[in-house]
Amino acid sequence: MSTYLSKRLIYMFVILFAASLLIFCLYALTPGDFISGNIKLSPERKAELRDIYGLNKPLLERYGIWMSNAFRGDFGFSLAQQKPVLQLFNEYIWNSFLLAVVSTFLTWVIAVIVGVISAYKQYSWFDTLVMVAIFAAMSIPSFFIGLFLIKILAVDLKWLPPGGMLTTGSNATGIAYLKEVIHHMTLPVIVMTLLGVGSLTRYFRSNMIDVIKQDYIRTARAKGLTERKVLFTHALRNALLPAITLVGFELPALFGGSLIIEKIFNWPGIGQLYMQSFGLRDYPLLMGFTMFIAILTVLGTLISDILYHVADPRVRLQ
Amino acid sequence: MKRGIFLLTSLLIASSLLVSACSNNNSSSNSASNTKSTTVPATTTQETPASTVVGLTEPFTATDLSKLPAVAQKRTDTIIVGLTDPSGAFTPYFQQSGYDGNVSSLLYASLINVDDKGLPVPELAESWDISDDALTYTFHLKSDLKFSDGSPLTADDVAFTWTILHDKAYDGDSQVLTLNVVGGAAYKAGTATTITGIKVTDPKTISVTLEKPNATALVTLGSNVLSKAYYGKDYKFGQLDYIKKLHEKPVGNGPYTLEKFIPGQEVRFVANEYYYKGKPATEHFIYKTTEGDVWQFVETGEVDYASFSATQENIDKLKGLGYLNVIPYTPSSYGYLQANLEHEQLKDKAVRQAITYGLDRKSIYVDASQGAGSVANIPASPISWSYTEEGINPYNYDPEKAKELLDGAGWTVGAGGIREKDGKPLSIHFLGSKSKNTDIFIAVAKENFEALGIKFEPEVFADFNSLVSKVEGGDYDLVSFSTPMLTDPSDGLLQFLNGEIKGYDNPKFKELYDKGLATTDIEERKKIYTELYQLLNDELPVIFTSYKKTVYAYNGRIENVTVSPFIGLAGSLPNWSLK
Repeated sequence: MSTYLSKRLIYMFVILFAASLLIFCLYALTPGDFISGNIKLSPERKAELRDIYGLNKPLLERYGIWMSNAFRGDFGFSLAQQKPVLQLFNEYIWNSFLLAVVSTFLTWVIAVIVGVISAYKQYSWFDTLVMVAIFAAMSIPSFFIGLFLIKILAVDLKWLPPGGMLTTGSNATGIAYLKEVIHHMTLPVIVMTLLGVGSLTRYFRSNMIDVIKQDYIRTARAKGLTERKVLFTHALRNALLPAITLVGFELPALFGGSLIIEKIFNWPGIGQLYMQSFGLRDYPLLMGFTMFIAILTVLGTLISDILYHVADPRVRLQ
Repeated sequence: MKRGIFLLTSLLIASSLLVSACSNNNSSSNSASNTKSTTVPATTTQETPASTVVGLTEPFTATDLSKLPAVAQKRTDTIIVGLTDPSGAFTPYFQQSGYDGNVSSLLYASLINVDDKGLPVPELAESWDISDDALTYTFHLKSDLKFSDGSPLTADDVAFTWTILHDKAYDGDSQVLTLNVVGGAAYKAGTATTITGIKVTDPKTISVTLEKPNATALVTLGSNVLSKAYYGKDYKFGQLDYIKKLHEKPVGNGPYTLEKFIPGQEVRFVANEYYYKGKPATEHFIYKTTEGDVWQFVETGEVDYASFSATQENIDKLKGLGYLNVIPYTPSSYGYLQANLEHEQLKDKAVRQAITYGLDRKSIYVDASQGAGSVANIPASPISWSYTEEGINPYNYDPEKAKELLDGAGWTVGAGGIREKDGKPLSIHFLGSKSKNTDIFIAVAKENFEALGIKFEPEVFADFNSLVSKVEGGDYDLVSFSTPMLTDPSDGLLQFLNGEIKGYDNPKFKELYDKGLATTDIEERKKIYTELYQLLNDELPVIFTSYKKTVYAYNGRIENVTVSPFIGLAGSLPNWSLK
């Protein structure tokens, strides 16, 4: 196990290094830079600023500078936001995380329950209804359903706030603050759950259908176990196994933010910030964030491999 | 296997970048501007096309304040305005986003401001003198000026502000640098420790000498004042990074002070008791971040004030809500098609004129946008003091005249109905940013150009930076742009001079441009600019297209609202009160 881990860590290191180079080049080679978007500047001033920011240096040298700073934990200042990149992450990522973690939790809970039941009652009216609903939810674009819910629940009925994370100007603290945030996150969480639940339910349903047909389920039933116990202890455990791979992939998604949802609901998340900085070619922020997601992705796959091993001892790690 | 997964993810990351490029067309062009003179209008502007054109010419007063949502009804000492996305860099001169400029325009007052016509009016400076050779500007400060921390504001603070803008590490886009202050270059090069052209006579008097007369100097120099005691205590030449740490803890001298900044959510202000005009009427002011649509916040009463494109549909909807006052507004910018003067076909003035005649600009910019625009023929907005229609050719849509001009220029109809000259077909490669207006332009222009026998090849960019770099590479014939907010008439002309528009080189223009800046007498300048506009209107180094029209809608309870085309709401905000 420890040799496996050290081997994996070395791989991870190499992969991340290659990824950083690739990503850096990708950003640097997209047409236009941070300066060119400012139409107020004269060509001479543009050249001067490129010099100040070091944008006129050769690509590899710029990469070297970035990399050596990054190793010292210095991810630089965002050019557009004038703040350290890490501080910006801290200010925005947790808001995205909050939405993602709640909606992911709800998505999984709903998907498991609905998936199990519809697998158990395969081809029943419940199963059919669920399938129709799932396809409907999956095929409606998020911006449409988001705006539609704002129109109904916020503008017309005034039950929920139309966006943001806090009531404007609110000085709530403690429980009141918590209540306010929950109130504001209800709509975006509903939309995110609706969008995510479809594919996951289908995934659990088909896994469950496979497992139910196994011999050991028949054995369990033959032993006289209750149906509930058969389903949730024996069948579900095995049906969940393949889902462990998915857990690893959820990791970057938890921190990555969601552009469309954040924009529609005016949520102060990292997704918006990232997209905006791409339009501006805010290199330090782009680089920092993409690398952050890359690290999480690599970590996520490692975690899911280890979890798989823990859950299913038949899987050998080499 | 793992490598495969990773490759997949990096591909996903890469493709998400492409998606991102598509969803971010406005922000870059918006945030290109900052400082007082170019504050962008608060909130995103909505656009929707339809048919009838009536527009809004008179301010509209709320008809039924009882319809005001309860949330807005409850606010007694707070006004909330939407602002797309302030980033937290609230130190004037050091910000990259125009939205931060909106914030700092409330935190900092200027020495000199501009009125609704763009003419200078005193603010922190009581008066100013300009020497006869128009090289030395002397500012006389008002008495008892104070920063928001209670410390006195003196001429030293002004000198400090001008000085750090000349630091070699200064990376903002202040126009002070373009004025050529005597000794400024030496300071920047590090060969002098002070700028010789800046002289503090006494705590209330400061003068500055320029190398060359420049009529914009007064307003450019007369901008915000930074506290030397606060922003200058860690200053060393060549080292300005420390200012970034002070961005979110501003010490200003404007009507409001910063109470709290919640990134991505709100900027909260509280009235500044040390404001030179006295404490503002409303205690609290909030800029609420509204990245997406602002309608939902107006309809639920969460914001009190927003700007919209002046389409009939928007105006009708705003009026229909009943609790909003609506005022019409023309921004001080103009739209144009930049022509590639290095390409053979557009080098010829006659071809550019033909295109202007042959393009149905009224249909594109007025009718199709429901009256939210008007046709431009000169590089100045109708609200500018320099605006004139005297001797200006309106280039009314006239395809016959356009054909005549093209024939005259030697472009004759060849095979397939496309005009040719020396065997080369007349084609126009057009670049535009992805927007509804560009779609309209392309639809109409395609038809117009076809009728003239010009091959039209449009290309649309979702990403502003990509568009700009393509333009810089010279691979275009026409590209659609709009200027940032312009204060002085010369601002709108600079691009013809500083090499931004390549291939335009007219000594007469240069002479007039310099003449326009050499005097500060408005009447005389008016005459010069009239002549300049006539020249550009005839030469068309760019094809002038349109002026935008917007409306501001605000909660009917707020009194004393006026919006200046040059400084936005900042000018009247201290007087806003809730009834």
